[in-house]
Amino acid sequence: MKKFVTKTVSSLAVLAAMTAAQVEAKEVKTINMAYGSANAGSLDPHFSTKSQDKNIFGMMFNGLVRFKPGDTNPANIEADLAESWTSSPDGLVWTFKLRKGVQFHAGFGEMTAEDVVYSLNRAKDPKTSAVASDYKSFKDVKALDPYTVEITLNNPVPSLLGLVANYHGGNVVSKKADMEGDFKTHPVGTGPFAFVEFKSKQYVKLAAHKEYFRGAPQVDEIVYSYVPVNTSRELAFKKGTLDAFSGTREERWVNRMSRNKNINIAVFAPGELRTLHLNTKSGPLADVRVRRAIAHAIDRKAITQIIGNSVTRPNTSVIPVGYLGHTQEVPQYEHDLDKAKALLSEAGYGDGVTLEIIITKNEALLKPMQIVQAQLAKANINLVMNVVEHPAFHAQIRKDLSPMVLYGAARFPVADTYLTQFYESKSTVGTPTGVTNFSHCDVADDEIQKARVETDQQKQLDYWKTAQIKISENVCSVPLFEQMQVWGISKDIDFGYEFNGSVSLGPMFNEQTTKK
Amino acid sequence: MINTLALNVKTATVSTYQILKSSKLTWIGTLIFVIVTLMAVFAPYLTPYDPISQDPLAVLQEPSALHWMGTDSYGRDVWTRMLYGARISLFISVVAVVAAMIIGGALGIVAGYYGGRVDMMIMRVMDIMLSFPTLIMGLIVVAMLGASMTNLVIAIALTVIPKFARVARAPTLSVKKREYIEACYALGYSDIRIMVFHILPNVFGEVLVIGSLWIATAIRIEASLSFIGLGIKPPTPTWGGIIREGFNNFLDAPWIATYAGLAVLVVVFSLNLIGDGVRDAVDPKLRGE
Repeated sequence: MKKFVTKTVSSLAVLAAMTAAQVEAKEVKTINMAYGSANAGSLDPHFSTKSQDKNIFGMMFNGLVRFKPGDTNPANIEADLAESWTSSPDGLVWTFKLRKGVQFHAGFGEMTAEDVVYSLNRAKDPKTSAVASDYKSFKDVKALDPYTVEITLNNPVPSLLGLVANYHGGNVVSKKADMEGDFKTHPVGTGPFAFVEFKSKQYVKLAAHKEYFRGAPQVDEIVYSYVPVNTSRELAFKKGTLDAFSGTREERWVNRMSRNKNINIAVFAPGELRTLHLNTKSGPLADVRVRRAIAHAIDRKAITQIIGNSVTRPNTSVIPVGYLGHTQEVPQYEHDLDKAKALLSEAGYGDGVTLEIIITKNEALLKPMQIVQAQLAKANINLVMNVVEHPAFHAQIRKDLSPMVLYGAARFPVADTYLTQFYESKSTVGTPTGVTNFSHCDVADDEIQKARVETDQQKQLDYWKTAQIKISENVCSVPLFEQMQVWGISKDIDFGYEFNGSVSLGPMFNEQTTKK
Repeated sequence: MINTLALNVKTATVSTYQILKSSKLTWIGTLIFVIVTLMAVFAPYLTPYDPISQDPLAVLQEPSALHWMGTDSYGRDVWTRMLYGARISLFISVVAVVAAMIIGGALGIVAGYYGGRVDMMIMRVMDIMLSFPTLIMGLIVVAMLGASMTNLVIAIALTVIPKFARVARAPTLSVKKREYIEACYALGYSDIRIMVFHILPNVFGEVLVIGSLWIATAIRIEASLSFIGLGIKPPTPTWGGIIREGFNNFLDAPWIATYAGLAVLVVVFSLNLIGDGVRDAVDPKLRGE
């Protein structure tokens, strides 16, 4: 009898322990999110500017300063890893005082000035960074003491804070982690969430960084999955396996989903400017008349009508709306098929032009491309489209393999970043210093370079305006429209702050975020 | 042996009438296939729309009197795209199967006729090709060569060539031992002349029967490859491509993928009915011989 009682008691104890463990296990708060791409681009924040990666970087890394959560306005930039900063009267020397006691993920120790110096130099080096051209004006970065960093510039930079914010090259990485291990597969930052694992074509898992300097996150885990098919993500959300997912960026989808009780549809900034870049140096497109014909053959209104006005924004400048330096006072190419045909004939292509181009399977670009294809066909400009996987698209267009590239991008909202990356000849794809100048554009180098070092703001704005006019006149590209970000987010999730935009192009969950 | 030889000869001479007589279902299958083919051929007369012209004001409309099968997310008429898509899908499938029939049939006859090492080499290569599931084989070829109409035809043809080679080789082995072939040797005919004029007619029937069955599979492969994005380049409509586009909008406009899926189902079903009928017609057991 005694034996029986002992056994019963002990088994009950085990059961109770197991139940407790289960209850504890159930309390792990995970946010499951999914993005519409087949795979990650790269896990290195200095190496990838691709939309599918930025969101993760935003949750894993900090900069010296940061965009206010939920805001994309550079005027509202606030302190992040730096507590305070000063600049010399000529704007050439910037001194940042760092927070003390900020811890890197995975026990990589305290973040100090050494890490900041290392990170900024890493962002400046074309071998380790895809945005090196943004940091050309950095003459020297040094640590004055473990908590003070001094940046010396060759010339004043339009918006220095943007270059040290939690975005692209401004993300601070752990020097020790980069020196010791493979940073590309095990990135280490200081952000609210730390990298746990990456399964190719499946997901990236992040865990709460308990020692995060703003306090431990209230959510334990974030699983960021790659689900390229729109319908699959939507069904997964309806089944309850997802809490947040990138939506179909079309009005009818937003309208339909808004009827669902459990979802908040977030349509937010920044707008990604969808631009059709035309190779100005080879083939029929080398003739400016052919490029102008293309500009006249495109009907922007019809494009936004198909995609929906609530998720798009019109723009005819090569710089997105709202960027410092943007102007709409550029040559306008109204939709006029007769003019397009006349220009083609004048250029000796009366019988039409056929171009073989590369485009991604990603609907957000494939769709506008197919609409453009149909519009150009009416002017006898025929596009043969090779539809490839999204990562292959990014790789091939950077090898200068497509004479026409439809690209959508949001960058730091100052004209300089956009002009440098897309229209300065140094950034021409297929060259060692190549970034994303798909058009081989070189008509505004002078203005772009002068504006970068100009201290008089009015003069700087004038240079940028001239650059935009020259690029438009030469039709290095045809800006189509701006595509806003669209995500579906469960009502169980509370950001903890007002979410109106995200330079990381996705919902940035942080230490304030909670899940019911 | 004599029996087998007799069968081969009969197989070759199966008349269309015999096939159709064999069952009502075969009639139905033939009728459906003929109707679909005619619709594909006369597509421009059956619709007022252009299959690739977009209408921004009529995006994802439900089926109506104006658009019988609704419109897709570009405002294109789905019924029109189905008709023109049938042209492409049927063309690719038929051309691929005919090409495979010619190449596979020739390889089979050569293997069977020469025997020995030639037979060994050809048939082992065929075995290797057969070891890949048909869709995987198609995928590999299109992924390697790139997606275009010619490459799709090549991909589908490659998946079915080994099957035709096998079917052609077996009767060749028995036919080549018959006296009249020996007589050909004695007369000093060339190998090619013997294969083309004296063996081929005896093998042709069986290869044709298999061909009718494989067109259905070819349609399925084409639809599958287009669905996973390895099909013909946009905006050319194909049934697989329409299903793919419809699938992206399935929750908004379920009719697009449903209609295209049904079309594939109906045509594959009709071809299978024809195939079954043909097989029954040439199967001596079922004919009570």
